[in-house]
Order: sequence, then structure tokens, then C-alpha cells
Amino acid sequence: MKSDVVIVGAGSVGLPLAYYLAKRGLKVVVLEKEASWGRGQNRAAIGGIRATHSDRAKIRIAQESLAIVPELETVHGFHVEWKRGGYLFVAYDETRENAFRELLSVQKAAGLGIDWIDGASVAELVPGIRREGLRGGTWSPGDGSASPLLVASAFYKLALDAGVDFRFGEAVTGFDREGRRALRARTALDVYEADRFVNAAGADASRVAELLGETLPVHPDSHEAGVTEPVESFLGPMVVDIIPDAESGNYYYYQIASGQIVFCITPKPQAWGTDCRSTSSFLPLVARRMIELQPRLANVKVRRTWRGLYPMTPDGLPVVGYSRGAENVLIAAGMCGQGFMLGPGLGKILAEETLGGAGEYGFIFEELSPYRAFEGMELLK
Amino acid sequence: MNRITEHPILSPAEGRVEARFSFDGKPASGYEGEPISSALAAMGVARFSSHAKDGAPQGIFCANGQCSQCALVVDGVALKSCVTPLRSGMDVRSVEGLPPLPVADAPRALSKPRRLSCEVLVIGGGPSGLAATVELAKLGLSVVLADDKADLGGKLVLQTHKFFGSEADCYAGTRGIDIARKLSDEARALPGVTVLANSPVVGLYADRAAGVLADYREYILVDFKAVLVAAGARERSVLFPGNDLPGVYGAGAFQTLVNRDLVKSSKRVLVLGSGNVGLIAAYHALQAGIEVAGIVEILPQVNGYKVHADKIVRAGVPVYLNATVVEVEGAGRVERATVAEVDEKRRPVLSTARTYEVDTVLVAAGLSPCDEFLRQAEAFGIPAVAAGDAEEIAEASSAMFGGRIAALSLAKLLGRKVELDESWVAKREVLRSRPGDTVPREPVIPEKGTWKPVFHCVQEIPCDPCTTVCPTHSISLKPVRGSIMDLPRYSGKDCRGCNACVAACPGLAVSLVKGLDGGMAEVVLPFEFPAPFAPGSKLSLLDREGAPLGEGELAKKVFNRKYKTWLLTVAAPSEIAVRAIGVRVQSEEATRSLPAARFARLPDEAIVCRCERVTVGEIVRFIKEYRIRDANQLKSLRVGMGACGSKTCAPLLPQVFRQAGVDPAEVAGLTLRPLSIEVPLGTFAGAASGIAALPAGKDGTK
Repeated sequence: MKSDVVIVGAGSVGLPLAYYLAKRGLKVVVLEKEASWGRGQNRAAIGGIRATHSDRAKIRIAQESLAIVPELETVHGFHVEWKRGGYLFVAYDETRENAFRELLSVQKAAGLGIDWIDGASVAELVPGIRREGLRGGTWSPGDGSASPLLVASAFYKLALDAGVDFRFGEAVTGFDREGRRALRARTALDVYEADRFVNAAGADASRVAELLGETLPVHPDSHEAGVTEPVESFLGPMVVDIIPDAESGNYYYYQIASGQIVFCITPKPQAWGTDCRSTSSFLPLVARRMIELQPRLANVKVRRTWRGLYPMTPDGLPVVGYSRGAENVLIAAGMCGQGFMLGPGLGKILAEETLGGAGEYGFIFEELSPYRAFEGMELLK
Repeated sequence: MNRITEHPILSPAEGRVEARFSFDGKPASGYEGEPISSALAAMGVARFSSHAKDGAPQGIFCANGQCSQCALVVDGVALKSCVTPLRSGMDVRSVEGLPPLPVADAPRALSKPRRLSCEVLVIGGGPSGLAATVELAKLGLSVVLADDKADLGGKLVLQTHKFFGSEADCYAGTRGIDIARKLSDEARALPGVTVLANSPVVGLYADRAAGVLADYREYILVDFKAVLVAAGARERSVLFPGNDLPGVYGAGAFQTLVNRDLVKSSKRVLVLGSGNVGLIAAYHALQAGIEVAGIVEILPQVNGYKVHADKIVRAGVPVYLNATVVEVEGAGRVERATVAEVDEKRRPVLSTARTYEVDTVLVAAGLSPCDEFLRQAEAFGIPAVAAGDAEEIAEASSAMFGGRIAALSLAKLLGRKVELDESWVAKREVLRSRPGDTVPREPVIPEKGTWKPVFHCVQEIPCDPCTTVCPTHSISLKPVRGSIMDLPRYSGKDCRGCNACVAACPGLAVSLVKGLDGGMAEVVLPFEFPAPFAPGSKLSLLDREGAPLGEGELAKKVFNRKYKTWLLTVAAPSEIAVRAIGVRVQSEEATRSLPAARFARLPDEAIVCRCERVTVGEIVRFIKEYRIRDANQLKSLRVGMGACGSKTCAPLLPQVFRQAGVDPAEVAGLTLRPLSIEVPLGTFAGAASGIAALPAGKDGTK
């Protein structure tokens, strides 16, 4: 059986892409190694969607996402817990303040609604936040959040209704090639022939690329996250504190539309690898940092924790572009923990590109090329 | 106040101090230190709060710290009221909608969790966990035993009845509460054992550490090499409309209220399920002065021990076989339950529906193992074994041997050289047996002037106390199977009429009879209810299965202190005396149905996920529409996303998938993650719970 596009991965990127391709009349097959959709990194995402990045490509893609996700509710009638709560990066030292202020020029140039606010304004947004040393922060009220689970299910349903053929529990085990083209993807159960293939396999993308003889600089590290009981609404924005301490890097939390607080922290040292088992160090660490910042959080009850992967690249930016070894294979991977917020926009843009109409997005493919130099590290990772 | 003041077995603790508090601004009163939920139940409050989703009434469900359905705002902080001790002066309020997070913005003193270290962490201090702990400690392994209750013994501490099994091996004939004490004392006395009571394990982590909520206040990390999961079992929920109303709960929750906290939480109950758990819960209700409208069993036969069932039926409780609950309804709490017979496919036949006025429905239609920590350990690659009900649902007697055997297999996993005592395996096999054959017995009229025991025990179950308590060794088991499953028999001589067998029989199925003049006889009957009758009064005597035999005259009554059992000596015609084994306890009035059945709702409205209030109908539609083959996707409906962590809904999901036309074997299961119960964020960082600005003692701190 032959299709137009075979997508490897029914996750944050693969699901919207499958939908947008099928909506345009393409015959799409999605191969997913997990038992159902969104069970890789999507299920572990905490739901933030912001356009306030530090580079043009991600800003552009995320701006698309910020337009698409609310429409899942207003146009398509899904409930995805969309909330435009904004993002707030807090600064307690000069280094952070200067860095944020420097970024503002890039962000404003990209047309983002973001600005510096003072400590009193921060305290209005985050009631009870520690005022001692608080210099202020950057505030982007247009950013928001949604449930990764519900967004994934919405795109899955849209894709299903648009005729996408999902094959769950099927890991790609190899490709048949002819010269510089991939002809067929193989799984333990079947063979899938297509004109084009997309590697949207998230943390598994390097393995899939290796099946084509390519090396992708995508290596996952893991982060633990948690969710509390729901409480009455008291917190609007996603609060991000990027000041590292002895045991951790940045951490962030927000109150989702249902009233629960979702939180996540970057451990120090970073935990490289694909181990997603919970550890005993997470809760004491994240609890200390959150309560030091906002003491009233001490009384909210933690319900569940989990650990998910950030498919990282050396410079913190995604890898998007066609493979040189197999020219009909599109790579859309290495989302560095932002697949959920980039996926809808990227899916839409890639669908247009696949159909030859994405000239205006040329800069994205340049910036995110799999063959770029991978220098530097994005500040707001 | 709905307090149990008179109980044949239990007596209220002495020196309880009244605690005056306020509930929703009104004066209220309970006892210092008892769970807030029990104080409210004693005040007759069933509806504690309203669910944020739809305003549905919320109240006691698990009574066990697991489900959060009894949440109340206590001094400004939302807490699980079933594990929050009542203190004088507390301000207790309903949660209407979502609870507010109290404003408490002063910086807090924080600290890292204390760490304990051991070789084996035992989760659960019931019969299997305690037996395992003893065995592990004897092998020289260091053990931390964590249990979520203040008193060790698991469900034994709620069991006021005498246990079956072997007297020599597992305390048969002793009441559960007393067995618990013996096992607990033995385990606590051993070196190398650290007991964390009142301290639920809340998470297992891959780095071989467990988070324990010590005394429900302090988060401790316990480092271990292996874990033994003896966390018991919980009642499976059952799908019927109204299954979410306050007043529908498991037998365990009921026993907690009634037998632990001595709260008369119900006036009349209906029991769903005739296994030993349901039968015993009905018996405990009667002992607490609570009426039992009946026991409903979907199978064509009683599922528990026949001696248990006979005992309940004799007390005046009907068992309805081939029947099920169609609906439960009421305004804010259970007021009525409708029962109907089922057809050969176990579907209710609505034309047979009958409605009973009850305020409680006890769900005892099967247990699910609390094996989450075992599965979590397996998923994380932690060496682990299960014991007791967490391994296999069976009697406490079997769990004791199961615990010992599990301890040895865990020791082996840890590289210890151990020899398994094969006799344990054999004994456990017998103790976990389902009942065997039923053998009819025809009583023989005794000779004049001599005592002889009459056995009303006709079904083979693992039990032998009558043989071991007889001082003249004149009772033995008739060797058919060659195990304690065999039925007892009397040698025909040497009975001194000491009544030991009558008092010890856990099934209350032994009487002593002596012939008198003129075709009369005296019979000694065991009785475990308040016995207000005076010598000379007429008693209506019942046979084994509750059929009335006629009257007898009470000659004397003696209370056997060791077994806490009344021994009633009754004079009656010989024909009656040899058949008599019971005295009716409950009037027929309690078991009458309404003149016409009353039910309205559709089966699709039964709740599967209580925490998030998701119905069968919603889930079935979603499974079909989204072609679901992974239970995790039901989280889109919020199934399993609630406070209880899918403990209630997960066991129901196979049934729901089947209803949607999907073979549950094709469905990927729910992923398990810490935590197993909700814990305040501050607890992980060593912050005292509550609002820091309150004076000491009022904020829940020590």
C-alpha cells in the first residue's frame, strides 16, 4: 500500500502535521511505537505555549501555534483548557535583568507583546511572591497554555476524521532505499511505501535517522514535573525563574485552566538519557524553590509527578529540514522540550511546505537546518 | 448523637474529651483526636461538600486517607477530614467549588527530608506485612514497616468477630482485633524493626527510596534495597446509578466508622455482595445496632462461608440471590435502594424491582488488590514481592503464611540463603481454600442427663478451634481430606458440658444439648448481641438457616469473657433443642420493601471515576468515537486524573471497555506514577502545614 506521506511519530509534531496534510487531501499514514498518540514527550509536557523566544524561527512558529490552539476551541469545538495567562520571567539579580532587557529588543522587533514590568507589577500577577530582591520581570500577556493531552487528542481526532491512517504499537525498524530516496518504511508488522517521509519521532528521532545512515544531533535529557489538586484561581501567568542554584537550573509553574498547578524543574547536573522513572530528589527540590518564591504554595497538595524527555540539540533549537542522505525525508525533531508549543505551528507550516507553498518560511528552514553549525545556546531554554 | 454506646464486643475508649468546633459556622461537637469525618458522621452529616464539576454531594467514601472525597476546609486549609484529627476550636467548612489556597505569604523555614535506611521496606502492617516483618527480622534483615493506620493489624483491627483457621497456627477462634495486637506486639519487639505507624507510603522512586508521610505530617525518605508490598485490598466499586451518593461505600469504610470510631453512621444498610466481607459487614452492623435490610448477591449461591451466612440469616437478615442493585437515590445522601432479580445474563429484570428505604449501601462485591506499589516497583526495576491481599485475595489466616513465604523469597532476592518451611506452603494452601463440600447432618436426640455438642457446621472450611479447645479431647476432625477443612465430630463420650466449644466456634455453629425429663432438653446457644432477656423469658428459637422452630425458656445466661460471647441456656422440647442454634435479632420490619418500586435513572449514568465524576456512558462513547485502545487516553475525560489516582476507576475499566465492544486484553493499561495520595507541597520542603500566622497548636503543627 502506498501513501503520499508516512509520518514517524504520533506526537506533538506528528499529529498536527498529519492533520494539516490530510486536510489538504494527502493520503497520510502515521507510524507510532507507543500504544496510542501523544505517549512520548507530549504526555509529559506541561502545557505552556509562548511566542516569547529569543530567535526568529521559534518566535514565528510559536506565533502560529498561539493562533491555532485557541481555534481548537472556538472553531473546532474541542475543549483543550486553553488559557491566555501570559508568561512572566522573574528577575532577582542584575545579570537576569540585563539579559531579559537585552532580549526585549529582539522580541519586540518580532512584534511580540512583551515588556519589562517592575516588582510591584510582578507581585500583582503573582500574589505573595517574595519581594526581597525582586527587580521585576518580562511579561508577555499574549502567551498562554493548554492541555497537551487534550490538544493531542483534538489533533488526533481531526486527523482521524480527515482520513489519516494511524498505526499504533509499530516502531519503524528500517527503510528501503533507492539511491538518495527512501522508498518504504518497515515495522515488525508491515511495510509502508510513500512519496515522502517525516521523522517526527521526538526523543527517538536519532534512532530513526540512523536507520537511514544519518546522524542527528538530538539527545534527550529528562525533567521531572508534577501537578497539584485544583484550587480556586489565584495565579494568571506561567512563572519562570531561570536563576540556577546548587541543585537546579530553572523552574517554572502555573495554574492551568482547571485550577491545578503544574510545575517542572531542570535538575543540576542535567540528567541525560531516556530514563523516565521518578526520583526521590525531585519533590523536595522543586517544593523548596517554589515555596521560597511564593510561600503560599506550601498548602497546595501535590497529586502526581512524572518525568519526561527534552530531545535536546547542542544549541537549544529544533532541527527542521530535509535530509541530505535521503532527500524525501523531512526531519522535524529536536524540539528541546518545546514540541508541544511548536508542534501545531510547525505542523501547519510544514504541511504548506510539503505542498510547495512555504516560501515565506524560508528563514525557518535556514535557521533550523539539520546541517547548521549548532553554536551557542538559547537563553530562555 | 449517633454514637455506639452499647456493643457486645467493643467499648468506647475511656476518658474521651469533648471537642467543640464549628461546622460551616454552626457549633458542633465531637471527641478530641477522632477524625473530623467521624465527628460529622456522628452528627448525622452525610454531605460534607459539593463537587466543583457539578455540585454533586461529596462525603465519606474510603474513610482511609486515599480518596479526598471527604475534603473540608479546616482553619482555612483544605484537608482530608478522615485523616485529620479533630481539635477543639477548629473552624471546619464545606468545600463549595474549588477550595481557595489560603493567603499565607510569610517566608517559611524549610528543610530537607529526614532519611531512614533499611534493607527491606514493608508497606502495610496487616497480617501478611506483620508476619513478613517478623520473618525478615529473624533473618537479621533491617526492616522499616510503614502503615497508614495508627494501630497495626490492617483490617484485623476492624474485625470484631472470631476468626476461622487453625488455632495453633493463626489464632483461630480469636477476634480480629485481638489477633492484630498479638501480631503487632511480636513484630515491634524484634530488633532491627522500625515501625512507622500512621504513616502512609506516598511514593516509590527509582533510586530505591520511598516517600513516607510520617504521622501524616513529615515527609521522610526511606532508602531500601527491596520492598515487600502488603498493602491489602480495597472494595471494587460497582456500577449502578447513584453509586456516587454519600452513603454508598465499601465495607472497610463502614467498619472503620462503626468498629474503630464507634460511630453509628447508619440506621439501616443494604449490603451488596455475599462474600465473607459482605456477610461480616452485615453482622457488624447488627452488633452496632444498625438494621440490615438484606444482602444482595448476583450469583445463584452465597459467596462466603456458609457458617457466616447462616449466622446472618438466623439474625433475621435475608440474602437475595440472583439479584443486583438497580439504582440508589436520595437527596444529598442515600435514602432508597432498588434491587431486582437478574436473568441468566445477569441483567436486572426490572419487573421484579423492589425498593428499600436504607441510608447506606455497603459495597462488598469483590476486592481489588492494592498492588500499585508492586506494579510501580516492577516498572522501576526495584526488587519487590507482594504478600497478603495485595498478592491474592484470601483470608487473614492465609495472609499470615503468605507474608512469611514472601519474606523468604525476598530474602532470597537479596542473596540470603534461606530454607523455605514446606509446611507453610501446605498450610497456606489449606487456609486459602474456597469452601469445600456441604455435608448434611441429622442431629441425634441426646440421652437424659448427658451433655453432647451439636455441630451446625456443615460446609468444609479451614477451621478447627472446637477441636483444640475441648479439654477432654473428645472433638476431632473427621478425616476425609486430612486437613483442617474436615468437619468436626464428637467422640460420643467425655463431654463435661464446659461450653468451651460453644464459646470458641467462630461460626457460632456449635451448641451443647442435654436431655431432660419428659421429652425436654436444655440447649446452650452462643450469642454475640446485647442479651437483654432475663431468665424465664421466652425466646423464639431458630434452626441453622433461620427457620423458626418454636419457643424455649431461658434457664440462664452467662457471659464468657475470654470469647466475649453470651452463652444462653434454653429449655425446649428435645426435637427443637437439637436443631436450635439461633435467636432472632432483627425484626422483619427492617427488611420490608416499599409497596412500589421507585427508580428512574439510566444505567449509563453510573459513575466510573468518582474523583472527576465521569459516567459509564461518557466513557463508552469516547472509546467508540476515538477508537481507544490505551486506557491512558481516557485521561482526556479526566478518568484517573483525580485525587485517588485511579484506585476506584481502574478496576472498573475492563468492564467499561467490554461494554464499548473492545476486548480489554487489547487495551494498554493506565501508567502508574507517584504520588499514591495527595500531599501538601510544603511537606516535601519541611514547611509546617497550615497557615503560619496562626498561633501554635491551631495550625496542625506539633
